[in-house]
Amino acid sequence: MKKVLNKGFLFMAVLLLFALTACSGNSSEKAGKSASKDGGKVSAKFGVVSYMSGPGAAYGEAITNGFKLAQKEINEKGDVHIELAIEDSAGKQEQAMSAAQKLMSDDGITAILGPTLSTEMNVVAPEADMNGIPIMGTSTTAEGIPQIGDYVFRNSLPEALAIPAALKKAVDKYGAKKVAILYGNDDVFTKSGFDTMKKAAEDMGLDTLTIETFQKGQSDYNAQLTKIKGLKPDLILCSALYNEGAVIMDQARKIGIDVPFVGGNGFNSPEVIKIAGKAADGLIVATPWFADKDDTKVKDFVKKYETEYGKTPDQFAAQAYDALYIYANALKNAGSTDRDEFRDALAKTKDFPGILGNFSFDKDGDVVMDPTVLIIKDGKFQQFE
Amino acid sequence: MLGDLINPYYLQVGSFIMINIILGLSIYITLSSGQLSLGSAGFMGIGAYTSALLTINYDLPIIVGVIAGALVAGIIGILIGIPSLRLTGVYLAIATLGFGEVMRVFLVNWESVTKGSVGLSGIPQIGRELLKFSRDSGFSPMSIGLKNNQFVYLMVLLILVIINILLIWFLIRQNKSRVGRAFAAIKMDEKAAEAMGINITYYKVLSFAQGAILSGFAGALFAHVMGYISPADFSYHRAVDILIYAVFGGSEVIWGSIFGAAFMTLLPEVLRFISEYRYLIYGLVLVLMMAFRPQGIIDVPLLQKLHLTKRRSKHGSKN
Repeated sequence: MKKVLNKGFLFMAVLLLFALTACSGNSSEKAGKSASKDGGKVSAKFGVVSYMSGPGAAYGEAITNGFKLAQKEINEKGDVHIELAIEDSAGKQEQAMSAAQKLMSDDGITAILGPTLSTEMNVVAPEADMNGIPIMGTSTTAEGIPQIGDYVFRNSLPEALAIPAALKKAVDKYGAKKVAILYGNDDVFTKSGFDTMKKAAEDMGLDTLTIETFQKGQSDYNAQLTKIKGLKPDLILCSALYNEGAVIMDQARKIGIDVPFVGGNGFNSPEVIKIAGKAADGLIVATPWFADKDDTKVKDFVKKYETEYGKTPDQFAAQAYDALYIYANALKNAGSTDRDEFRDALAKTKDFPGILGNFSFDKDGDVVMDPTVLIIKDGKFQQFE
Repeated sequence: MLGDLINPYYLQVGSFIMINIILGLSIYITLSSGQLSLGSAGFMGIGAYTSALLTINYDLPIIVGVIAGALVAGIIGILIGIPSLRLTGVYLAIATLGFGEVMRVFLVNWESVTKGSVGLSGIPQIGRELLKFSRDSGFSPMSIGLKNNQFVYLMVLLILVIINILLIWFLIRQNKSRVGRAFAAIKMDEKAAEAMGINITYYKVLSFAQGAILSGFAGALFAHVMGYISPADFSYHRAVDILIYAVFGGSEVIWGSIFGAAFMTLLPEVLRFISEYRYLIYGLVLVLMMAFRPQGIIDVPLLQKLHLTKRRSKHGSKN
C-alpha cells in the first residue's frame, strides 16, 4: 500500500509539474511589454476572450475583426495606444474561464473585452469582478449580466431593450391585440428571448393565444404553425436563431400565415433573406446596428471593413468596433492604466457617439440607447416607420 | 519563481485537470468490468444540479451538496444499471447515451426548478466560500504573501488534488481486492466468471454505480468550481470527451485514463499560442493515436517497461 501511495504522489507531482511548466512559455514574454505611459500618451493592453474555433467561430471572427479595425484606427489617431491580447474560448465555459484567467494573471492587462457568449460571461464575469478587472461584453445579451458586479459592463443591446422596442412599433402600426409565441426551448439565447417577449406582451396588455416550443435543429414546424394558424393571431413573436427562424417563416408562409413576425436579436441576420427568400418579408426586429443607415460614420466603417475583410460587417463586428472606441475614450479620460481609475472613467461614459448611435451606461453598467427597428420588405432590411 | 508558479491561470487549468481525472476514473471503473457506458455526462449533470440546487435553495454547505450530488447520481446509477445489465457492448453504450440525452432534455424542460436552458448562476464557489471562511476566522491570505485570487485557486487545487489522491488510492486498492478481480474476470469472460461462482449482477451493478457516483461527484465539483451550469454543459459532447480520456490514455490501466484526462485538458491550453488552429492539432493527435496506438498511450507492457508496476509480473507467475 505504501508503494501505491508513493506512486500516486509521484504521478500527481509529475502531472502538476507538467501542467505548470507547459503553460509558462508564452506568458512571460507578454509581461515585459506591460502598460506604460510614454510622453503623456497612455498606452494600455486589453485582453480579448473570443469564440474563434468551433461551431460559432463566425461570431468570434467578426468580433475580433471589429476590434482589430478599431485598434488600427485608434493607434493611427494617436490619442492613446492600445494593444490587444486575444485568446480563444472555443465557446466553452471552462475554456473561456482559463483564457480569462490567463489574461487576468497578467498585471499588464488593464481590462478585458468579451467573452462572446452569455453563458461564458456568466462564468468569467464574477471572477473578473472579484479581481477588480473591468470587463465588457460586446455580444452578451442575456438578462442580468451587468448586474453581476461593479466591474462588469456591456455595450451589446440586451434583448430586454430590443424586443419591447420592436414589439411596440409593430403593435402601434398594425393595431395588434392577439399574439402567438413560438420559441426554441433548449437554447439559452432563444429561451431568454422568449422570457422577454412574454413579459413585453403582458406589459402591453396583449392577449397571448398560445406558446409553442421547438428544439435546436428541428426542420419541420408544421404542427406548431398549423395550431397557430387556427388561432388567427395578429402577430407572431418568434424567439429563434436565424437558421431555424428562416425555415419557420418559410413554412409559415407556405401554409398561409401572412401576419408579421417579431423576432429577437438572433433572428436579425441577412441570412434570413438568403434562406427564406420572399417568405422573409414581414419580419420585424430591433437592432443596434443597421449597415444601410444614412450616417457618414456608419458608411465609413462599412467601407473600411469591406476593404479590409471583404465582407459586410454584421452587428457583432459593429458592436466590437464601438466597444474598443468606448474603452479608448475611457482610457483617455482616466489618463492612466490603473484598473480602478479606468473603471470609474468607463462607468462615466455618456452619450458617446459611436456607429451604433449615442451610447451611455446606466448605473449597473448596462446599455442605454435607442435601438433601430427594421423590417424586411422586398427582400431587404429597411427602417420600420 | 514561486510567484510565477502560483499563477491563477495554471491553478485553474490544474483544477480542471483534476475534475477531468475524476471523470476519466468514472469511465475507467465501468470499463474495468467490461461495460461501455456513455452516461457519464448525464450522471455528471445529476450531480451538478443536485448539489447546486441544494446549496442555492437550502444554504447547505458545499461539502453536503457535493456528497448529496454524488449519492443521488449513484442511486440513479443503480436504477439505470439494473435494467441495462441485459445489454452489453454497443447496445449498452447506446442505451446509456440515450439516458444522458434524456437527462439533458429533462433539465431543459423542468424550468420551475432548473431554470431551463438559461442555466443556474450564483452557485457558491468553493474558493470564494473558503476565502470568506478564512476571513471570518481572522486569517488573511496577505499574511502569507498571496493575493486573494492566488489563495482561492491554490486552495481549490489543493482540495482537488487531495480528493484525487484518495480516489486513485481507493481504486488501486479495489483493483487488487476481491471486487477488482471479479471485475477483471467479468471483463475477460462473463460466462466463465459466472461459472466460477461470481455474482455477475452484483458486480456489474456495483461497477456501474461506482462510475455513476464518480461522475456525479465530478459534476458537483464542476458546478462549485465554475459557479454556473447549464444543461448544455452535459450534452453528449461531454460524454464523448470523457470517453476520449479513457480511450486516448489507455483503458486497460488506471493510469491510462488519468493520463488521458490530464493530457486532453492540457493540450488545448498548451496550444493556445496557435489560437485558431489548436483544435486542428487536437483532432490530428486523436487520429494519429488511433492509427498507431489503438490501445491507448499507456498500457500494461508500457507500465512494465517503466518499472512502475511489478504487480503484473507477480500475477503472471501465479497464473
